[in-house]
Amino acid sequence: MKKIMIVEDDKVIAEELFYLLNNSNYEAVILNDFKNAKKEILGSNSNLILLDINIPYLNGELLLKEIRKESHIPVIMVTSKSNESDEVISYSYGADDYITKPYNPTILLLKINALLKRCEMNKTTISYKDLIFDIGKGIVKNNNKEIILTKNEIIIFNMLLSNKDRIVSKDELMTELWNNDEYINENALTVNISRLRSKLDEMGYPNIIETRKGIGYTII
Amino acid sequence: MKYIEYLKDNIIGIIVYLSTVLLLFLMLNAFKVDITVNILTIIILLISGISIITINYYRKNKFYKLYLNSLNKLSEKYLILETIPEPNTYEEKLMVESLYEINKSMIENINDYQRNITEFKEFVEIWIHEVKIPISSMVLKCHNNKEKYDKSLLSIIRRLDNNIDEILYYVRSENTEKDFAINEVNLKEVIRNVSIKNKDDLLDNKIAFDSNVKNSLVHTDKKWLEFIINQIINNSIKYKKDKDSIIKIRSIEDNDKTILEIYDNGIGIPTKDIGRVFEKSFTGSNGRDKIKSTGMGLYIIKKLCDKLGHNIYIESVEKEYTKVIIEFGKNEMYKF
Repeated sequence: MKKIMIVEDDKVIAEELFYLLNNSNYEAVILNDFKNAKKEILGSNSNLILLDINIPYLNGELLLKEIRKESHIPVIMVTSKSNESDEVISYSYGADDYITKPYNPTILLLKINALLKRCEMNKTTISYKDLIFDIGKGIVKNNNKEIILTKNEIIIFNMLLSNKDRIVSKDELMTELWNNDEYINENALTVNISRLRSKLDEMGYPNIIETRKGIGYTII
Repeated sequence: MKYIEYLKDNIIGIIVYLSTVLLLFLMLNAFKVDITVNILTIIILLISGISIITINYYRKNKFYKLYLNSLNKLSEKYLILETIPEPNTYEEKLMVESLYEINKSMIENINDYQRNITEFKEFVEIWIHEVKIPISSMVLKCHNNKEKYDKSLLSIIRRLDNNIDEILYYVRSENTEKDFAINEVNLKEVIRNVSIKNKDDLLDNKIAFDSNVKNSLVHTDKKWLEFIINQIINNSIKYKKDKDSIIKIRSIEDNDKTILEIYDNGIGIPTKDIGRVFEKSFTGSNGRDKIKSTGMGLYIIKKLCDKLGHNIYIESVEKEYTKVIIEFGKNEMYKF
């Protein structure tokens, strides 16, 4: 399980982030000792840091600068300030991403997911049983057959496969689609999923995408 | 300075002088001085009197003429002290000194106001950043406890957040020189961020969203542009028609500019209102009858566009459509 360090001095937000991340299959840790923030963070063996800019002692930007001297750990900056200069400073100090409060929690999860994936190695294929899914080409194949997926189907299939061990909510799928400039409505999502199902059926895997009513979809 | 007016101002002196001359004439006459000597004396006295008053007039007129001329030419009248001629006489010195005093006290007064405004602006900015924290907590709480909180709560929180942004950008648009940074910004990314922000409202209101925006790079401040487009899309959602609503966004590349068009098939703007939509506090019949509006949204947008150097226009036919057009210049000057 990936470990994520939450550096946030507002107790309520820190706790809610903790729940959000734990519910999304991450191991979340909250930083308590801001005085020794750098030591705590580097010693925690986290895979990613959510770093608020307005924190006690050293502010987030300076803390980031300190961390970057010793580690390349992915950092997402979080702030309630919405001006360009903070963003520019954060990026120049080595932030990997930047998000302003109040953020959309689903977007935050997508950003975390994308950043962790980018750091893993650029995976271009995912395998599922005997199927190989080539994300770049949008092809699903096994030894004797291959099918081509549309852009929406690629996004949906990728999202489901990357989160095999849990239910992916409709909202997450929709947000991911909109995040890829596919501004579709929920009916279109249902249509896309049923097309994806019939394509997978052709490959010999009927009903592997399950609908969990009122929650979302999962792949079995 | 008119000569006649000057004479009128000195009327008492002239009367006293003329009376003295008359008295002298009568006196010399009474002492039986030769009439020729008498008249000659009077003429000499009159000539010297006229000379004194005229010379005085020309001296004063020289100073005041220069003064009034430069005052006329100045568009910022309060800068008169910088262009005023060197005072020579006691009278002129008194005037210039008092002008200087008046100016100084006015500048102090204005500085006080300026400081108050700056302090207020800083407080508003800090306050907004503070208030964003509980808003974030609310969003996270709603997200984490979906069964406990109704989904519509998120839409209400979003409205609150939008209203708060409106104050922030109002303050920034009213007084700012340093708040924005022009960078190369991808229009497609801006549209993506704004659309995701409004995703739930668009879906809940059954508004189709269609974007045909290319990866155009424009020179602008990303945060400001996101706010501007967010306001426009919020208006499109607010003033939608009852069914088959659609918002279409597209970008067009021209030789010297990039054009962004945001079209909706909403209730439109009446012809009599369209010329005034960018005015401060203007609420057209739409803003009064259908939905309560502050009349500030478009005003702020226009101001921000002016600061950023973008042109913004609105085209609309009532009951048919509204189209907002933003033009981004391709001026090399912005590049750095």
